[in-house]
Amino acid sequence: MHLAKGKNVNLAIMLFALTLFQLTCIFSLYDKAAAEYRTGILITFGVYIAVEYAYFIAARAVLKRRGFEIELIAFLLTTVGLSITASVYPDRSVKQLVAVLIGIGGFIFLQWLLRDLKRVLLLRIPVAVLAVALLGATLVLAKFTNGAKNWLYIGGMSIQPSELVKVAFIFVGAATLEKLQSNRSLTKFILFAFACVGALFLMYDFGTALIFFFTFIVISFMRSGDIRTLFLVCTVALMGALLVLVFKPYVANRFMSFGHVWENFDTSGYQQTRTMIYSASGGMFGVGLGNGKLRDVFAATEDLVFGVVCEEFGMIMAGAILLSYVAMLVYSIRHSKYARSSYYAIAACAAAALMLFQATLNVFGVNDLLPLTGVTLPFVSRGGSSIMSCWMLLAFIKAVDRSTYRYGGVRQ
Amino acid sequence: MKSISRRALTLYLLIILFLGGCGLLYFNLITNADVWSMNRANRHLYHDGALATAGDITSSDGTVLVTTENGQRKYNDNKNIRMGTLHTVGDSAGYIASGIQTSFKDELTGYTLLDGVYNLKRYGKGNDMTLTLNASICETAYKAMGKNKGTVAVMNYETGDLVCVVSTPTYDIRNKPTDINTDTTGKYDGVYMNRFFSGLYTPGSTFKIITAACAIENIPDIYNRTFECKGKVQIGEGYVICSGTHGKVNFEKALNKSCNCAFALIADELGAEKLTATAQRIGFNTQLPAVSGKIKCTTSKISLSNSAELDIGWAGIGQYTTLINPRHMLTVTSSVANGGKAVSANLVSKITSPENDTLFTSSTTEIGEYFTPETAAKLKALMRSNVKNQYGDSYFPKMEMCGKTGTAEISDDPTKKPNALFVGFSQLDSLPYAIIVVVEDTSVSISSAVPIASKVMKAVWSEYH
Repeated sequence: MHLAKGKNVNLAIMLFALTLFQLTCIFSLYDKAAAEYRTGILITFGVYIAVEYAYFIAARAVLKRRGFEIELIAFLLTTVGLSITASVYPDRSVKQLVAVLIGIGGFIFLQWLLRDLKRVLLLRIPVAVLAVALLGATLVLAKFTNGAKNWLYIGGMSIQPSELVKVAFIFVGAATLEKLQSNRSLTKFILFAFACVGALFLMYDFGTALIFFFTFIVISFMRSGDIRTLFLVCTVALMGALLVLVFKPYVANRFMSFGHVWENFDTSGYQQTRTMIYSASGGMFGVGLGNGKLRDVFAATEDLVFGVVCEEFGMIMAGAILLSYVAMLVYSIRHSKYARSSYYAIAACAAAALMLFQATLNVFGVNDLLPLTGVTLPFVSRGGSSIMSCWMLLAFIKAVDRSTYRYGGVRQ
Repeated sequence: MKSISRRALTLYLLIILFLGGCGLLYFNLITNADVWSMNRANRHLYHDGALATAGDITSSDGTVLVTTENGQRKYNDNKNIRMGTLHTVGDSAGYIASGIQTSFKDELTGYTLLDGVYNLKRYGKGNDMTLTLNASICETAYKAMGKNKGTVAVMNYETGDLVCVVSTPTYDIRNKPTDINTDTTGKYDGVYMNRFFSGLYTPGSTFKIITAACAIENIPDIYNRTFECKGKVQIGEGYVICSGTHGKVNFEKALNKSCNCAFALIADELGAEKLTATAQRIGFNTQLPAVSGKIKCTTSKISLSNSAELDIGWAGIGQYTTLINPRHMLTVTSSVANGGKAVSANLVSKITSPENDTLFTSSTTEIGEYFTPETAAKLKALMRSNVKNQYGDSYFPKMEMCGKTGTAEISDDPTKKPNALFVGFSQLDSLPYAIIVVVEDTSVSISSAVPIASKVMKAVWSEYH
């Protein structure tokens, strides 16, 4: 059995540190919250920590797993996100918790599902059809919210289908070794990708469209290794994007303030400049959870959440979050060498690269190093669909590690 | 399988790009942190665009000039002190760029890169600052200026501590005039500018100190010369006009009477090169170090290259294109008093944290030897002679004052009145203070600038002697 080199982190010590951090957050939240919300906060974090412990104990004691780096990172990032949500919108903390739990459930379910690649292969076509149908439905049914048409309202619940389709995209896109040789399968994937990206374009959700396109490039490259074709695809995509800008110039207006946010201080640069001002105000260690001011700006807990982290938790914590996405990709790359099937290698790298790319768009967007596209920061931004999708994507990363299925009776 | 894991390695490229981006992000954040966090939109520090949660600013005599009460900046109760210290303390909305509240925002709010604005959260206020200013001298100076525009400043010429800086026109920060930005009569001309730090004036006869210094250095027998003043003198293609007809005068008498004929002839004899060399050595055309390290001042200018003979004659009496900045002129005057050594001006004497730790204490910074001790001593004697024999010691009783007046014609327009200037210092060891007074659009200096200097120096005497 081949395993990636390097020692696993000590679960007990890391869990202890994580719990300590969580207790600090709870204390700070409880202290500042209005009396009516205190019970909700305690329930949210009580359940969350209980689930966290249950997960680790079950995985360690029952499944006899050893490596928990990925989950520790995810639980930490989710804690930061949940704390910010509970602090800014104490009335919505339980709702966010439910989404987190569904996400963790999805994470565990997908791990189980991915164990058997026959199951995966069987499900690829239905999942692809479902994904396209979901995006199609969004296109037809959704109304514009903040300039994009990407929300579906089902019985009082609002979901962002494109988030869930990210999981489907990788689920469908990653291929097994035997399928790799077939050009037909790649063509089918290209069609699927075209449908997804196209639908997102029509929704004016350019940030997510870009994420899908990027993931498509990663998957195609990993599958074919054909740089020339990818150049061709990129060129075509670039021309397509230019055409959109020529025929729909108002689309370009959304990105006009890029690089000029200080000149558009109170208009199109409002969110970016406030993010930078308050990020700087936090210093290295932050002003403390609940003490920030960026939280009062529109979309603070979603698009601007990195600024909230900088301001309230400090630049060091924010840097740790940035490194988390790097760690997940490094983990995926290293384990892909020993993966049981090319499917796991491609899926893990694609999922980790997707999150890193999404973090790039989010963080550099709000700091004016890239145009602001309004995508979420994986695991940290508030939003049910987003957190669910992140946890499910994590299953692909977890699945690449051979030790995940080591004692589970591998069937291949 | 091998090929796939090799392809996966190219993803490291992505990581490198991402880390590069993060590096740039943190570089931007750290290098701009103080500027960004001090932005007026930062509601940690500003309420309705006004600095609200900064520490106290206190004068050296213990008068609290501004403090924070209930999230609002509260200025001193004495209106005259508010008016007199407006430009140095500054406003909380940042109109007065050189004000302490603008130029020392970081210090006042206690911002640090490490802790951000956390100190403010913890203590509810930032660091406290003690200025070198004396509130009561500022009050006296403000009252002495009356309705005039201009500036008065007093500096300890040994330490560089500014005990008085007043700039007019000024306004009451508690009741800011509603017409201040719309007025067209000119009564608020340059009201947001601290004329002492940022003003530029034609020096008039105060420049004769510099011409005299150049003459002492370059004309060995200058003290044995006599000059004939017939009310005007031909230089090159034209005439330099004098303020009077002084007849035969020697060097000292020429300075006492401020004889234009004599000094135009001296300047002409010295020539552009030597005059420029002396002026540049004493800080013309170079930016002086910022006051207390933060408040930058305007640079005095002299340019005599390609000037006609007549122009050099005019320049020698301070009436050509030469422009002086009041802070620089006070530095020059102080260096004469201080044996030729120039010191940089201080406005902040101490910064204390909310925990009472002293974060900063001012010290004296020497910025150069403007004159040799011999030249300085000679200039001092000449300036002492001016006060003793010409202006009268009654203006500055017991102070052994040295000085030079100047009346600067600033326009050919006869309805425009000249600017009056006075620079001087007490040569007493027990009163090491130098003063500059600039009164705009007035009359001859002896009847406008000197009486103001007299009132202010008397206040300095009663405070410090």
